[in-house]
Amino acid sequence: MFIFPELNPLEEIALIIGIILTLIGVFCDIVGSIGMVRFPNFFVRLHAATVGTIGGAVYPLFGITLMSLALNYLGVMRYFIATGAFLTAIAIVLTAPVGSHALARAAHRSKTVPVEPKVCDFLKEDERLIEE
Amino acid sequence: MIEATLIAEILLAFSLTLALIFAYLAIRERDLIKAIVFSALQSVAFAYAYYLLFAPDIVLAYIAVGVGIYSILLIYGVSKTERYEEV
Amino acid sequence: MALENFISTFIVVLLPAFLISLSLYAIRVIKGPSVTDMVLAIDCITYDLCFLMGLLSILFKIGFLMVAALALALWAYVLDVYVAKYLEAREVGD
Repeated sequence: MFIFPELNPLEEIALIIGIILTLIGVFCDIVGSIGMVRFPNFFVRLHAATVGTIGGAVYPLFGITLMSLALNYLGVMRYFIATGAFLTAIAIVLTAPVGSHALARAAHRSKTVPVEPKVCDFLKEDERLIEE
Repeated sequence: MIEATLIAEILLAFSLTLALIFAYLAIRERDLIKAIVFSALQSVAFAYAYYLLFAPDIVLAYIAVGVGIYSILLIYGVSKTERYEEV
Repeated sequence: MALENFISTFIVVLLPAFLISLSLYAIRVIKGPSVTDMVLAIDCITYDLCFLMGLLSILFKIGFLMVAALALALWAYVLDVYVAKYLEAREVGD
């Protein structure tokens, strides 16, 4: 009613929220990829990867769900797209932190990655205390 | 001027170039674990190319073989022998 | 017709940002000094491609293309667990 004259008010609110979430997703994606190139260590790059996966893939998938429910010209297909995007967003939220935590634990315990620009390493001190 | 098939052609060129670069790097690598990881990324790029050709059922089968079964089988094989190959 | 043209133009304008971010993640895969760096970047590339598949299924107006994104997201998690299990225990299996 405000900008798009051919939709209901409810559908128009869903379309505007979907467009805002998609723009946030594209911005977080670019920021996450720049961070992956420029950070000095593997354990610092985990912070950039978090922005890249959650801010760059989960938020915009929720945005696609809302955006696709409001478009009438797609016909029946909009329900397929909305359900698939919603289930993919939930799958990414449940499995991506588990995977990266397992990777970081294996990298620290097998000493594959040296902790180079180091300030303090509490985990190594705790491991030495447990062994004694 | 900008229509759907033109966008599909440009993205197809980009993803297949990426797949070619990683396939070349997978052959020239000495460390076997890194070669397996390059091969998994090449499978992801090829699966995206199948998606752009409008065939989603082939994407499901190719991802299950290229990233899932192939990687676990080769990592199991490398764990039985040594990790670096000589010249 | 005005709504369809607006949504199509909006999606086409956003596409170069994806090509830039995919190239930057690929630079980290080539440059990474350890295996875990490379697997983390593959993780990020895969979840990024899921979002790109969603946008393209709205652009092409085909509804069945979104299902492939769900399978891609789940298999990328499995690759993480395999590599972590090899690095920690030096053997893969039960």
